[in-house]
Amino acid sequence: MNQNQALPIPANDPFGKATTGKLGMWLFIIIDGLSFAGLLIAGAALRASAPSWPAAGELLNIPLTAFNTFLLICTSFTMVMALNAIQKGDQAGLKKYLTYTMAGGLIFLGIQVYEYYHFIVNDFLLNTSIYSGVFYVTTCFHGLHVLSGVIYIACILYAASKGRYSADNWDHVEILGLFWHFVDLVWILVFTVIYLI
Amino acid sequence: MDDHKSVYIKNAIWLTILTVLEVGVAFIDISRTGQIVLLFAFAATKMLMVAMIYMHVRYETKVLQKILFIPIPAGILFTIALMYDIPFRWVY
Repeated sequence: MNQNQALPIPANDPFGKATTGKLGMWLFIIIDGLSFAGLLIAGAALRASAPSWPAAGELLNIPLTAFNTFLLICTSFTMVMALNAIQKGDQAGLKKYLTYTMAGGLIFLGIQVYEYYHFIVNDFLLNTSIYSGVFYVTTCFHGLHVLSGVIYIACILYAASKGRYSADNWDHVEILGLFWHFVDLVWILVFTVIYLI
Repeated sequence: MDDHKSVYIKNAIWLTILTVLEVGVAFIDISRTGQIVLLFAFAATKMLMVAMIYMHVRYETKVLQKILFIPIPAGILFTIALMYDIPFRWVY
């Protein structure tokens, strides 16, 4: 049975064909977005009251992080292509694009760990300054989201390998996509606020 | 190539172009205010592109769209209010 036909949808339903799972993910995204907003606003408040703040590129590696941003954009593309594939019943395409997305997420995390390693050996630690505190807390919080996303993709990929999804059953892939795109969307703001401004 | 795929590819290309422009703006010699306004404008455009095209928000109902977008001006107002409050609350 088609996932969108499982329950009759009232004509005046304010959420249209969105499933309860999808609405749940949207609700989570709103709450999680507010968590990120809290961190970024706190960072902005600390910055506004700090006596000095490093300029863009003074301490942080902008080209490397710009590449990471490009990588996340690419993974958003592969994720939406995974959904596009399974909506047409292309299971091989779904697995291929999910694997690309997971690989992109892992490379992103690898680059972030590399960045942290260089900071740590140069004594740029969490408690070095207000700036370092804001940097580590915000980027770590985002990094944990990427890690969660990679684990989430692995779970969906495992289910896909068992042939669970089809042209009539792709709700879980869509919900995973919403989470992954949210992680990309938030990184756009984190990159701008923490690295460029 | 199907229509959706070409839209997704174009979106990825524009997001990349905007990222390059953003990095450029961070290093060009313009006023600080102009720089911040441009950077936030680029970031907002990119976020909107991800939400509307990759997250398919443009296909959602008006009610859901309102629920998703209403917290944004609320957050901006909260930030502005907090900034005005800083001189009175934050003392080192």
